[in-house]
Amino acid sequence: MNRTVVPSIDSLERVWYVVDAENQCLGRLATEVASILRGKTKPSFTPHLDAGDFVIVINAEKVRVSGNKSTEKVYRRHSGRPGGMKTESFQALQARLPERIIEHAIKGMLPHNALGRQLYRKLKVYRGPSHPHAAQQPQVHQLNPSASVR
Amino acid sequence: MARVKRGNVARKRRNKILRLARGFRGSNGTLFRTANQRVMKALCNAYRDRRRRKRDFRRLWIARVNAAARINGLSYSRLMGGLRKADVRLNRKMLAQLAILHPAAFETVAGAARG
Repeated sequence: MNRTVVPSIDSLERVWYVVDAENQCLGRLATEVASILRGKTKPSFTPHLDAGDFVIVINAEKVRVSGNKSTEKVYRRHSGRPGGMKTESFQALQARLPERIIEHAIKGMLPHNALGRQLYRKLKVYRGPSHPHAAQQPQVHQLNPSASVR
Repeated sequence: MARVKRGNVARKRRNKILRLARGFRGSNGTLFRTANQRVMKALCNAYRDRRRRKRDFRRLWIARVNAAARINGLSYSRLMGGLRKADVRLNRKMLAQLAILHPAAFETVAGAARG
């Protein structure tokens, strides 16, 4: 019998991709990035291994959401004390910490376990068009055209 | 009839369970009562998962074939539909193996699916 291949962790090659978030739709961008991080774009996909590639997201502050979500989408956090919930609209958070919006969206699409946290570490998000990973020779990844907001 | 005392039988029964529970965590591998419960549950899980394994592997092959199909400009469903039309009778496992070990061969298969 020909056994289903389980690649060894050292045999997996990981490339770096750059994704430009300018005028991209947040969720559509995040699904694509999440599947790259997970390795689902490669035939060597193995669910229990970190088979995915690295992704650098640039221009994080220029990501868009459709409809009224920029004012109505709310990011919540809780200090743990009674009455300690803080809320912040998409707009406000994007002005303050644009990286967090993208990180939060992508993190929620990865498996919620130790492997998911390991996959998440391969995501690098930056505001502005530059990033410090030139040494990794990242390739530009073109997103599906439906991801951009019209 | 020969006389059978209880202790022998009981010890044999308990040791049988404890042997199955070898390597379990904490008291689950040493104390009969907890080990017995864990062994019952473990055997149930094993039975269930022997059946589930077939589905799990099929899902994995489909995920791999889908990735390879998309590299060749097809979606999974277009590829499978095209293969059926072209009367190519490779199963999902064979396709997944080709995708990983012989990408060039997979390309030919994808070409056949494109028609």
